[in-house]
Order: sequence, then C-alpha cells, then structure tokens
Amino acid sequence: MIKRSFFALSQPRLTYDLLDTDPAAPETIPVPASLTLLLPEAIDSTKQALIKQGGAVKKGEKLKLYEDSTAYVLAPAAGTIKAFDSYSDDFGNTATYILVKPDPARTGDEDAAEFEPSEDLQFASDYLGQLPGAPPFTDLADADYPIKTIVITGSDTDVMSDTCQYVCTAYTDEVVEGARLLKRITRIPKICITMPEKLQTNAGFGAIQTLKTSEVYPATLPAMVMKDHLDTLLLAGKTPEEMGVCFIRAEALVSLARVFKTRKPVFEKIVTLVDKAGTRHRLTAAIGTPLSKIFARFNVHINEQDRIIIGGPMRGFATFTPHHPVTPEMDTVIVQDRDTVAELADTPCVNCGECIRICPANIPVNLLVRHLEADQYEEAADKFDLESCIECGLCALVCKARIPLYQYIRLGKHELLILRADA
Amino acid sequence: MNNTKLIVSHAPFWHDGDSLFQLNLNYLLALLPAALFGIFQFGAPALGVIALSVSSAMLWEVLTNLASRKELSIGDLESAVIGLLFGLMIPATMPWWVVVVGTFVAVVIGKVIFGGVGANPFHPTLVGMAILMMSWPAFFDFDAAYVNYEFEYTALAPLAALKFQGASAIDAFPLGSLLAGREVGGIGSTFGIGLIIGGIYLMLRGYTRWEIVVSFLTGILLTAGLFHLGNSESYASPLFHLFSGYTLIGAFFLATENSSSPVNKISMLIYGFLGGFMIILMRNIGAYADGTVLAILLINLVNPLIDNIRPKALGKGVTNA
Repeated sequence: MIKRSFFALSQPRLTYDLLDTDPAAPETIPVPASLTLLLPEAIDSTKQALIKQGGAVKKGEKLKLYEDSTAYVLAPAAGTIKAFDSYSDDFGNTATYILVKPDPARTGDEDAAEFEPSEDLQFASDYLGQLPGAPPFTDLADADYPIKTIVITGSDTDVMSDTCQYVCTAYTDEVVEGARLLKRITRIPKICITMPEKLQTNAGFGAIQTLKTSEVYPATLPAMVMKDHLDTLLLAGKTPEEMGVCFIRAEALVSLARVFKTRKPVFEKIVTLVDKAGTRHRLTAAIGTPLSKIFARFNVHINEQDRIIIGGPMRGFATFTPHHPVTPEMDTVIVQDRDTVAELADTPCVNCGECIRICPANIPVNLLVRHLEADQYEEAADKFDLESCIECGLCALVCKARIPLYQYIRLGKHELLILRADA
Repeated sequence: MNNTKLIVSHAPFWHDGDSLFQLNLNYLLALLPAALFGIFQFGAPALGVIALSVSSAMLWEVLTNLASRKELSIGDLESAVIGLLFGLMIPATMPWWVVVVGTFVAVVIGKVIFGGVGANPFHPTLVGMAILMMSWPAFFDFDAAYVNYEFEYTALAPLAALKFQGASAIDAFPLGSLLAGREVGGIGSTFGIGLIIGGIYLMLRGYTRWEIVVSFLTGILLTAGLFHLGNSESYASPLFHLFSGYTLIGAFFLATENSSSPVNKISMLIYGFLGGFMIILMRNIGAYADGTVLAILLINLVNPLIDNIRPKALGKGVTNA
C-alpha cells in the first residue's frame, strides 16, 4: 500500500507498475467441473427463456435469454446447464448468471457449435463481443458513434496491473495481426497503441502508431490518453466513443487473431493474480472459471473479511464471493488481507485541499462532495463539474477525512443518469 | 470456503494513511516549541492557562456531543488544537473564568453550532478571541497583565508601544530579541523562532498550505514596506511588524485553518495577501494595536467568495481540440 511520504509539500505520485524484464509464461488452469457465465441481461419472468435447466449446450454455442435479446455469452465447453439465476452488481444492476457443467467426454467436433467467422462488423458484434479481452464490437457497430480512432490499451489502466503489457510483449505478432483484422472489419484507418514509456521492450508494432504513456497514474486512463496524445478533450458527460475514440484491450486483438486463424472461438483469458504478499501469478483460465479454483491452484487462502478485488486497487471492485467467475474483461485479481483493508470514516470534509491538489481533472471535489452528500445531483453536475470526473480515485486515496469520495462521485453519476432518464 | 464472508467495499482499495487525527496531532507538535518557551518564560501560571484552555475546550466539545446525543468527536484532537491556540494567544495571568468562557465561545459558538468539524466559516479560536477582546479588553492589555513580573528586557507590548508612543518607541525592541521571544505578549505568540520552526514543519509535512503562509507574509512585508518607505518617521519597519504581536502565529497557524481558508491556488494567494494587507492597515491606520485577530476573521469571511476563482474542469468551457 502506498503511504503518505513524510514530507508532502508536493503532490504524491502514484506510479504504474512495469512488466518484469523476463516475465514467466502463464500457467494454465484446467477447465473446472462447473463454469459460471455472466450474461449482462436481467431475467424477465414474463417471457419464455430460451435456455433451460438441464439443457445441453455445445462448445461455443451462443446462449441468450430470449428471442429478442442482444446480450449473449458463448459456452466455453460442451455440457449441461445446471442452473441460471439473477446476479446483481455493486450498483444494483441486474444480470444473469448461468451455471454450466462441462462434460469432459464431449470434446469431439460434433459437440462444437457451428462457427464460421467472417470479416464483417455484424458477425463480430453478434459473436465476438465476449472473446477474452471483451472487444467493444457493439460500440464499433453502433452507427451513432462517430468513431475515427481506435486505441489499443497496451499500458494497463490501473496500478499494480501488468496484464496488458504482458500480452503486448508476449504476443506482439498476434496483436499486430488482430489490429490488421480489426482494421478490415471496422474500416477505421487510425489505430494506435499505448505503451509505457519506461518499458524496455523489443516489441514492434509495425505500422501501428505507438503512444508512449507516462508512468504517473492516471496517465493511461482514456480521458488522459485523449488529452495528452490525441489532442481531443473528453467533454464533460461524454464517453470516449461519443467523442470518436474507441479503446480496446490488446488481449481482444490476440483473441481476434486466434479466432480467424483456428476458425474456432477462444475462451482462454489471461489473468494476473496478486496474492496477499504482493506476489504476481500469471495464469490462463477458461472464461467462467470460478476464482476459488484459481486460489486453490496458487495456495491463496481466503479468510473471513479478506477482500477480493477485481481490477486494480484504484478503480476495481470488490466481489462478495470467492466463486466469482473469470470474465472477458478481468485482467487483474488482487487478494487483500483483512489487516490491510483501509478504513473509511463518516467525518465531514474539512476542506484540507488535498483532493484539489491531486485531481487531474480540476474538479472542486471539496464543494462537490457537500452536494453529493446532500443528494443534490443536478446541482453537482451543473456547478461543480460532477461529469468531468475521469474516475481515477486519487481524491479518495488522499482524503484526510477518509470520505469515500470516489464512490460518492460514481454514485452521483449513476443517480444523475437515472434522474435524467426519468425526466 | 463456501460461506466465507468477504469485505465488500468500493475503490480505491488503498489509502495513503493520513487522517484528521494525524493532522491535528501535527498541529499540536508544531505548536509545542512556542508553548514550551511560553511556560519557561512566564512560569507556572502559563502552564496553568494552557492546561485549562486545552482541557476546557475538549470538555466543551464533549458536553455538546452529549447534549446533542452524537458520538464523541474529540478523538480527532481538533478541539485540543483550538484550545491550545487560544491558550497561546492570551497572557499568562488570565483569570480562569475568562479562559473557560473563551474556549466555550471558541468551541461552541465558533465550531459546534456551525455543524462541527469542517463546517466552521471562521477560525474558532479567533471567534473566541474576538468576542473576549470586545467584552473584556482590559484582560488583553499585555502591559497590565505582566505588571507584577520582572523581565530583563523592555516589558512593554511592542505593538501597543508603537501605537501609543509612535515609531520612535520601537528602538527598544531589537529584531533579534523579538525573534527570541524577549517581549511580552500571549503565552505562545512571542517566541518567533519557535513559531517559524513549527510553521515550516507543518508546511513541509503538507498539513498547512504553503501558498497561504507565503502570500500572507508577503502581504505584511509589502504593505508595511510601502508605509515605511512613504514615512519612516511614523511607520515601523516591515520586519518589526513581522516579528511582533500575533503576526507569526497568525500567518502559520491561524490563517491556514483548513475549513475557513481557500483551497485553489490563486484564491490562496489572494486570501493570504489580503490578510497581511489588512493587518498592516489596521495597525497603521486603524484603532487597534494588533489587528491580526480581526484581519483573519475578515479574510475568513471573504474566503467563500475568493475560493470561487478556480481552474476550469477537464472537458468544460473552451475546447482546445
């Protein structure tokens, strides 16, 4: 954990971790006896579901809830559906989880679903959105977004993570091949890749323009990359896609290259596990593998009141169950011992100004939080720049009163969306 | 492992370890040199005043916590800092009941009724000081307060001497002895070196905002310098103003109080400069010998206005795309 330095006249600097010079190859976790797939659509009890308990699935079969659903997952192995039920995330958004019991005997070709990849956006959006790395094909296919630039994320966006750097270094050729395919599929000519400027690597990306990102957090977040390298200011309240920039994980390109090479869907996700001692373990596991299997493999013991963080320490989320599955966008899993869990408090803001000094977006956090605490979301957005927040979490890191500032801001944005949708 | 209960909280999952307790503890530490010197110089009565001031300030907060049925909040030490600052600004001969009334005004009227920690628009200590100075001005006459003491230096309050005897009187106060605390005044406000060391410590640790201190001192020096240049017969030199009265304790510890001062860079510079400027105006033109208390209350008052000067947030206003 980063501690405040004794002399703190200047801003504290939080730096990204760099990949080791000689990273070990990932260890493969075998497909477990039960896979959990997260489908981003809520169960609607008035409709007749397409999937049913006990139903057989083929490897690569597209599973969706209803006939008119757009959300889908691909089954990573042939087997039977054990159960499906509602899942809700930390903001109360509901999704569905599907438990699949793989059948180790069914590995033949007849147990694989039909899959004929073609280089067009409709196919990519219909079948490739759940590849490891979660390529944003639905956004790319959306005619409302004027996307002119694609940025491949080669620098990890959170501290302590190095999965993206590892993928770029270890699978450079496939990244380049994936980028070529992506260009053909989307017909977007401008593709760049972010790489940490301090990373010593021989990886060359040919014609892809490399954007050298600073090591100081939050230089690799989309808003900062756009500001520093693309000369585009992310306007308050807009997403990068609305501004014409689409970010894609390097791993998504690797998956894309493999899909078109093998003509089969791929399900092996590369994940970095950071255990309680801070040691990194790199692994590949099928999408849907419960994290508990991974912990068991690396002898990470989960005790009561520990914390399992998916994503990085600054922007990730804590899961409530060690059986949370590996998902297409999961790069890093951090296990935090209960003794190192930082305490929060409900003391009010004392106006010490630390958040103002550290905020990369110049938001008056001290005034903003007073309005957010009072549920005044509209005013917070109009006068106190709620929507300019790039969600880096630095304000909450340095808050002397230990206010969960980042959570207040995310909640504020969430409530604001609901308010506006109702209006 | 099925029923393992995990902690579910939200990002960020790190914290730099700082807290309000640390903040106020460092304030107390930084004030220690000045306080120890005051006790050494003015003897046991000074110790009594400081002890009573700190303890009664904390007690008032406990009592208001109990009365309003809230959790006890003295653990963050803020009322201890308010009490200590109050004790350091009053003479060692202050009657006990004035101290207790003063901390009551400071903690209860200055802080608690505005909503407690972080909500006070003025520095609580200064609210207490100002109301007491208006109510019982006689107790704040340092010349009268130390009439029974024997000092080996001029036992006159420098600023009062300047006010009532003119600029010629300040020859009795060489700058070196002002810095070394060889003057009469509040228990902890006389020892210039101690206050400077404590103040710089707080700035380096990042617990006070250096912009406010620097611009405050610049405001003092610049304004006093202009007066002195214009008429050195009737106006004292800038350094005399800097090292006398409440100037140093004001610059390093009072103007910088978090809740009542701005946080944006330009605002901090204006705020501090305005404070220094007002003090000299009050001393040179106004009726008060030492205007620090009222000048800082005045800049506390304009703080919300000044703090509106802030940089444009990312993605707002003019686009340079």
